[in-house]
Amino acid sequence: MKSLLQFLSKYSILLMFIALEVLSLILVTTQNQYQRSAFFSSANSISGWTYSIYSNISSYIGLKKENQVLQEENTLLKNQLTMLENQNEALREGLAADYTYADHDYNFISARVINASVNKNHNYLTLNKGKRDGVRVNMGVVNSDGVVGIVCSVGERFSTVIPAINTDAAISCKVKNSNNMGFLKWDGRDYRYCQLKDMAKHIELNVGDTVLTSGVSSIFPSNIMVGTIKEINTAESDAYHQIVVTLSTNYNQLGYVNIVSNNTQIEQLAQEHEYMD
Amino acid sequence: MNIWIKNILRFLIVMCLQILLINNLQLWGLCSPCFYLLFLFALPPTLPRWAELIIGALTGLIIDIFTNTLGVNMAACILVSYLRPIFIKTMIQDNDRLTDTLNLKTVTPSVYIRLITILIAIHHFVLFNLEAFSLSNWWLTLIHIVLSSVATLLLILLADILVD
Repeated sequence: MKSLLQFLSKYSILLMFIALEVLSLILVTTQNQYQRSAFFSSANSISGWTYSIYSNISSYIGLKKENQVLQEENTLLKNQLTMLENQNEALREGLAADYTYADHDYNFISARVINASVNKNHNYLTLNKGKRDGVRVNMGVVNSDGVVGIVCSVGERFSTVIPAINTDAAISCKVKNSNNMGFLKWDGRDYRYCQLKDMAKHIELNVGDTVLTSGVSSIFPSNIMVGTIKEINTAESDAYHQIVVTLSTNYNQLGYVNIVSNNTQIEQLAQEHEYMD
Repeated sequence: MNIWIKNILRFLIVMCLQILLINNLQLWGLCSPCFYLLFLFALPPTLPRWAELIIGALTGLIIDIFTNTLGVNMAACILVSYLRPIFIKTMIQDNDRLTDTLNLKTVTPSVYIRLITILIAIHHFVLFNLEAFSLSNWWLTLIHIVLSSVATLLLILLADILVD
């Protein structure tokens, strides 16, 4: 017993060092990307608050350009709205009027990006909306250019998002005008490009084709812009195409985004919870 | 000024600079300097080792919480806090060790630069390898380590020269 105590006091600093290192390595390895506690991420109130103050100040710098982009998007949406209204009218006349949509019902929650990184393998964004505003884990995030990412942890007033440029992210995609689905992965190199995986070799693709969300996962509505095919490098021995996609979203200049809240998904999850309890 | 207030002030300034300014510098996605190491380097050399370990761990944890890299900076900082007193003991003369801070002015410049270069290199090596957590892009990680180390070293020396 005495020699044990002597040993402990002699090597106390080394033991403490090892204990702390083990603790931090446990933190590194056990953090579950999707169910992570909001306390230890930038969605907690102190860091969220710091970032939102900073972003309040710095957002004035890009305000003019942001305004212009919003203006343009507004016009575009208005045009689409009138077009759809006309189309709807025509369809309703054709369909005896009491047709209800079976499709998913999506709502959008507007939010501002208050912190973002592009230079890591595991990049994250922080948004200034949280549980209070109806944000939940696994909601999709889009902006006027296209897909941004998926919500991974939610605090009371802030939330963090795994963007497409995180090596853990995978977003279900399709190529426009075909129903072949694949998924989007990032290799950790350049934040402007992603890889499109799981596209079998027999599928005919061209450089410049548009990549859209597939809508099967119900995280994103279908047909949201992801990017365009930049190059296809398929070797003779490959079973799948090696596709590089230019992302339509510029992750270096994110301002305002929309969080996609899927009403049927919430109902579905609530039901699943009931069965579990 | 009281040594406590001095260190707390240094902590706040360095952390604010790191989190709000330096983390937003994205030079080709390959250079992310860790300026906050200045705080750990400038701690009093007379500080008990257990206290230094805990301060290192907390500093790393705070950076991690802000950058969503839980445990990564913490591991690297603990290693720096563990190694710093050992290096001080072997590299720096006794009479220099009695000052209440460690910077370019309190110890011989060449010794100081050598000391922090080694610590920065070790810190960045651990940091970026843990962050990548794979060997698939090892050369990219290596470039990242080298560029960031140089940038960190220059920033810290610049701060030492500019601020008394």
